[in-house]
Amino acid sequence: MTRYAELQCASHFSFLRGASSAEELFASAAMLGIEALAITDRNSLAGIVRAHEAAKATGVRLIVGCRLVLADGTDVTVYPTDRSAYARLCRMLSIGKGRAGKGKCELHWGDLAEWGEGLIATLAPDAADDITALRLRRLADGFPSRAYMALTLRRRPRDFLRLHELVNMAAQAGVPTVATNDVLFHAPERRMLQDVMTCIREGVTIDDAGFAKNRHADRYLKPPDEMARLFRLWPEAVARSADLAERCRFRLDELAYQYPHEVVDDGLTAQATLEKRTWEGASARYPEGVPDEVAATLRHELGLIESLDYAPYFLTVDAIVRFARSQDILCQGRGSAANSAVCYVLGVTSIDPSRNSLLFERFVSQERREPPDIDVDFEHQRREEVIQWVYETYGRHRAALCSTVIRYRAKGALRDVGKAMGLPEDVIGLLSSQIWGWSTEGAEPKHAEELNLNLDDRRLRLTLDLARQLIGTPRHLSQHPGGFVLTEDRLDELVPIEPAAMEDRQVIEWDKDDVDALAMMKVDVLALGMLSCMRRGFDLLREHKGVDLDLASVPAEDPRTYAMIRKADTLGTFQIESRAQMAMLPRMKPRTYYDLVIQVAIVRPGPIQGDMVHPYLRRREGLEQVDYPTPELERVLGKTLGVPLFQEQAMQVAMVCAGFSASEADQLRRAMATFKHTGGVVNFRERLMGGMIERGYTEEFADRTVSQLEGFGSYGFPESHAASFALIAYASSWLKCWHPEIFCAALLNSQPMGFYAPAQIVRDAREHGVEVRPVCVNASRWDCTLEPADDRLAVRLGFNRVSGLANDQAAAIVAARAERPFADVDDVWRRAGVPAAALVRLAEADAFQPAFGLARREALWAIKALRDEPLPLFAAAARDDGRPAPEIAEEAVRLKAMTAGREVAEDYRHTGLTLRRHPVAFLRDELERDRFVTCAAANGLRDGRSVRTAGLVLVRQRPGSAKNVTFITIEDESGIANLVVWPDLYEKQRRIVLTASLLGIQGRVQREGDVIHLICARLFDLTPLLSSLGEREFPKPDDRGDGARFGITDDPRERRPLMVSAGEAERHESGLKLKSRNFH
Amino acid sequence: MTAASPAALALGVHPGMAVAKAQALIAGLEVRDADPAGDGAALERLAVWALRRYSPVVAADPPDGLHLDMAGASHLLGGEAAFIADLSRRLADSGVAARIAIAPTYGAAHALARFGPAPALIVPPRDLEISLAPLPIAALRLDAAAIESLRRLGVDTVGELAALPRAPLALRFGPEVSRRLDQAMGRASEPFELVEAPELIRVRRAFAEPIAAPETLARYTAKLALQLCEALERQGLGARRLDLLFHRVDNRIEAIRAGTAKPLRDAKRMTRLLGDKIETVAPGFGIELMTLTATIAEPLHYRANASSLIEPATPDLSDLVDTLANRMAHGTLYRCAPTQSEVPERNVRRIEPLAEPAGVTWPADWPRPSRLICPPAPVEAMALLPDHPPVSFTWGGIRHRVKRADGPERIFGEWWVRDGELEAVRDYFQVEDEAGERFWLFRRGDGEDPNTGDHRWYLHGIFA
Repeated sequence: MTRYAELQCASHFSFLRGASSAEELFASAAMLGIEALAITDRNSLAGIVRAHEAAKATGVRLIVGCRLVLADGTDVTVYPTDRSAYARLCRMLSIGKGRAGKGKCELHWGDLAEWGEGLIATLAPDAADDITALRLRRLADGFPSRAYMALTLRRRPRDFLRLHELVNMAAQAGVPTVATNDVLFHAPERRMLQDVMTCIREGVTIDDAGFAKNRHADRYLKPPDEMARLFRLWPEAVARSADLAERCRFRLDELAYQYPHEVVDDGLTAQATLEKRTWEGASARYPEGVPDEVAATLRHELGLIESLDYAPYFLTVDAIVRFARSQDILCQGRGSAANSAVCYVLGVTSIDPSRNSLLFERFVSQERREPPDIDVDFEHQRREEVIQWVYETYGRHRAALCSTVIRYRAKGALRDVGKAMGLPEDVIGLLSSQIWGWSTEGAEPKHAEELNLNLDDRRLRLTLDLARQLIGTPRHLSQHPGGFVLTEDRLDELVPIEPAAMEDRQVIEWDKDDVDALAMMKVDVLALGMLSCMRRGFDLLREHKGVDLDLASVPAEDPRTYAMIRKADTLGTFQIESRAQMAMLPRMKPRTYYDLVIQVAIVRPGPIQGDMVHPYLRRREGLEQVDYPTPELERVLGKTLGVPLFQEQAMQVAMVCAGFSASEADQLRRAMATFKHTGGVVNFRERLMGGMIERGYTEEFADRTVSQLEGFGSYGFPESHAASFALIAYASSWLKCWHPEIFCAALLNSQPMGFYAPAQIVRDAREHGVEVRPVCVNASRWDCTLEPADDRLAVRLGFNRVSGLANDQAAAIVAARAERPFADVDDVWRRAGVPAAALVRLAEADAFQPAFGLARREALWAIKALRDEPLPLFAAAARDDGRPAPEIAEEAVRLKAMTAGREVAEDYRHTGLTLRRHPVAFLRDELERDRFVTCAAANGLRDGRSVRTAGLVLVRQRPGSAKNVTFITIEDESGIANLVVWPDLYEKQRRIVLTASLLGIQGRVQREGDVIHLICARLFDLTPLLSSLGEREFPKPDDRGDGARFGITDDPRERRPLMVSAGEAERHESGLKLKSRNFH
Repeated sequence: MTAASPAALALGVHPGMAVAKAQALIAGLEVRDADPAGDGAALERLAVWALRRYSPVVAADPPDGLHLDMAGASHLLGGEAAFIADLSRRLADSGVAARIAIAPTYGAAHALARFGPAPALIVPPRDLEISLAPLPIAALRLDAAAIESLRRLGVDTVGELAALPRAPLALRFGPEVSRRLDQAMGRASEPFELVEAPELIRVRRAFAEPIAAPETLARYTAKLALQLCEALERQGLGARRLDLLFHRVDNRIEAIRAGTAKPLRDAKRMTRLLGDKIETVAPGFGIELMTLTATIAEPLHYRANASSLIEPATPDLSDLVDTLANRMAHGTLYRCAPTQSEVPERNVRRIEPLAEPAGVTWPADWPRPSRLICPPAPVEAMALLPDHPPVSFTWGGIRHRVKRADGPERIFGEWWVRDGELEAVRDYFQVEDEAGERFWLFRRGDGEDPNTGDHRWYLHGIFA
């Protein structure tokens, strides 16, 4: 049997060139009997960790390599032979990327000479011409006894002649040849996808691609015997591939990670420093003395940290958090780190281990040998300060962000493939509107059918098919939101670094899974919008009410706040504002903080799939006996009434009932998460069952428990994480409950965030008695502000709500106003010095109405007369009040007032919300005629009654936890209604579900206590009604025949447009366009 | 979508809608490509028809209108009402749906025909303002931006616009809005623009005594050509299309149209091109006016013929091409050029006789036969699988033993073109037989995967 190693192989990290993933390549290689496979992506090592993992899984050896395409077009593949050569390769790539900018790489022969030591280089030649001869000589000189020439069969005319000449040329230069396949995909059937990728890359359609397409045939993996047959004239070249592979012994496992040293106090070891800080922190956290239990936990954790040598990591996180605290930046650790008492006393997390039983092994485990993962949330507007501090402290050569691999999702794949296949833009748009953004299945023929698109059109069929294949393929690298990698040594000797799109940022080529796989340390500096919102809320509270609070000092366990939460009056709060959460609140009836922790964790796919929600609720409502087979189990599951809800509990059950060790239990958790479908969990299942039965549990109980644990799968929620989130959820609810006006202003200023649009936030605030005032050129600031009103505060909408208005222009207006308020439009224009276009934006947002009493049209009329610059002459001719004389004195003009409906439509268009009547109110007559009742009336019906109602679509949600059920929230002037769309209806009326802005439904009322759902049986797309909004006056005339009220031509309804095109244009312009929010 | 039939409109389709959306709305919707050029030509023809039948002064008003000056003409037709009845009946007979308005000003007639309350209207001068007032401002031939901003101010109708004070209006919207309003209201005159656009370069010659003899026509054609060339030269242009019109005394127009491959400004050649066709002109009772128009003109600059004395001058073929092209049907004169396709029978296309080379060439080191057999001829061949050249093959009953061969060159089907080519592969071999003749053979399929082809052999070309 021939020995052969494939040395030239692009994975799909050679973006839009390689068409197969490392997993596919290695699986094929293993099947074909290829002994070693080099992954050589174009100027990149981005895919190498994936390849490393795939190699481990398949047993085919990975050769680390990289295909360098130099600036002069030379195509050289290099392979590091050892760790130091690898470091040089990384340095070289970093330099090339730094030189060329984001996503590109510029390298020259000089770089190759400078950093080439220890690298084996293989020239990929074109024809045996002078250029190739020259390049070969340079390579042979630069890489003595380490230069090779690749021989690749192209299946083009005179192929063997070309190879023959190349072999001769190589012999003359004294360079050995080696057979390669120049692989782009793992199997022949990927050829079409590769062609399409080329088209996407080149921005052409497949018909015009011509010779831009890859013209060399058969670029898939071939078995060694086939390679031997193809290269039967040069058997030594095939044999040499295995020899060359032997020479490249570098493995990614050799990369040893070093923690940064800064964090250690002088004269102490890292461990000693950590211990010192831990006990200092502990005495600060527990001023009355550290409880024995906590002290024991701390000692246990410190011991484990010492044995694993993780102290520098904790110190690094501690340093970052200390910096944030010193700058008054709100921050809080999340995730499994909250399982650590050390993290609590260091101030990284806020979950008190003396009040919650934590499981350190969930966080750090002896067997896993992976560094722990501490994620810290910072308020999102100030996170940048933290990031810059990290860069300054550790230096740019030692700190960089992880990248995020941007992969094709259904919509993007369809768009790009559609374009490459030459489908018209409107067909692509129509199809992609049918896809729920993240869906993995892509567009299917039935979607096209529903749109009446012609499926006999083969282009369309090919597009759907190829787009599905493209889903999941990496498109480019982007910057991770905050995953930092810090090292002691140069980072660019560990991994290539490239500049990011944002200035002053650099990212490594690997994403966070890659970093995890190589056991490198990563600190997640994340941004949390709600923290920003809370910071703003606390600032406003201090400023306007003199109350000084922070996250820790929010009054705990406030009954009024819990009463509000129990009513599911939680719009805008953290976590518990989603539909599913709101539906659960009246049943959970939270009364304490721990109830909130459970609330946050229970509405998750894990507990729902494990069928734990209903048992828990039944027990909580006292409908079911709470029983524990054994006292140990009661200790573990007592606080959740015998139902395991958290990952930690799953682990503890395994420990207590089946005798697992802590780290075994963690392995179990990971097995459940990762190998759910590969059967890895089966062994554990047997051990679990066996262990439990051995300890005297009934088989039935054991079986139920194990299936519950399996339900956690990949979705389990750690208690620590839930606890961190519950803290913020409580604090935001408290603020909403006691200071709704402050909460409203803070939330509006933190947009975009959460589930709800500004319109709903404002509506909710007004329903809570908050006065919301419109944008006003004489009163608004950029942000929404609070103004005194009677005995409380009113919210003044800020200029940030005005669409299209730039921040600096708003600032100029506010600055110019400081002297004295503006008197009229002319005055604003003259003193603020902003362009007339900015004033138009303000007029469209109706900002002149509250100040000068000018309606939109009047203000626009006035602005239309302004030019770019005031004339100095008139400015000089000041009037009595010191203001410049108006340039023109003209007669007053009476413009027709807008219809009330039009005003509402304009409000929505230019500020995203209205303080006037709800849009649906204008359509009530028509809706009534079609027997659609208001949402409030629908919600008032008895259980099981059939109902027809309609409203604007606010939110569409298809949570992974709910087995393809779609939740839709609609709203009309009376309130909101919660719709449930079952999968069969979704499939039947998919287009309406996904595209309607105004939705009518026929269905049935389902009452579950206070929770009312409308189960849809039929949907109606009423969106066309919305576009007539601009023509509506309100209130409507009582008698339709009474035309005299509007005069002959004033009522647009009587002026039937004669030309359809003109009429339609008008409608679109004055109608209401809404963008609903979609969540998954 | 640019237009829709009444039936389609009734189903909710409207111009401006995306085609895919319309198709989604109505199953089995028939969609045809818009043909603006064809529409324009049809409108021109309609204008000529109206000119002959109804009025001496007619202009096409693209995209969808005709402009007839009825002053002093309607009485010949029995009055305005009879004229409208006659016109709409005749148009309806030929399948044209029409809206007609007679008004004191062109602006008003234009507006009323398109936005008026009835398909046929006669508006006497005293009713002018009252009939215009309810029309939407779009009726005034304003640009889209002005209409948009007026609408935003709540000015929807002509009446509302007319009620606004003039000075503030002019300050905000410039003179155009007022001018259009005045033109419709009859307060400003509007020049009547003839059928042809004014920017065309045109020379004319009127004759006191009508002429008729072909020699005379030819002589004046030559004079007009000379005049036109001078006019073209002043603007640095050359003609790509020439229209020579003969206005006969009986109000009919005879026309000659000639096209050129390259911009032309040579009076002699122009005369020759036009002179070739003078025999087709029927002078009737005589011709009182001749006009020669460069309907399409393109920049033409003088250029040195040869860059040096040694280099041979490249022959200018355009004269020959023009002469040939004007005598043959359109499209029969072409050149071949390579295209970027791997499939041999698809890598040639036809281009204009004098089009610039496309910049694509076939790779020089990939030999292609000088003669392509189309369609490929099936042959019997013996070859080892998967990728060996044939040992021998039989074509037309003659067996050729292969002495030398190169290949395979693997050419994949263009999978995006048709289903049959999704997986199709051809392996091409260049072979030489004992007699030294060289052939281009291919086998369908890559020799391994049966889906790629049925392993039959074909002869596709012969090398010189």
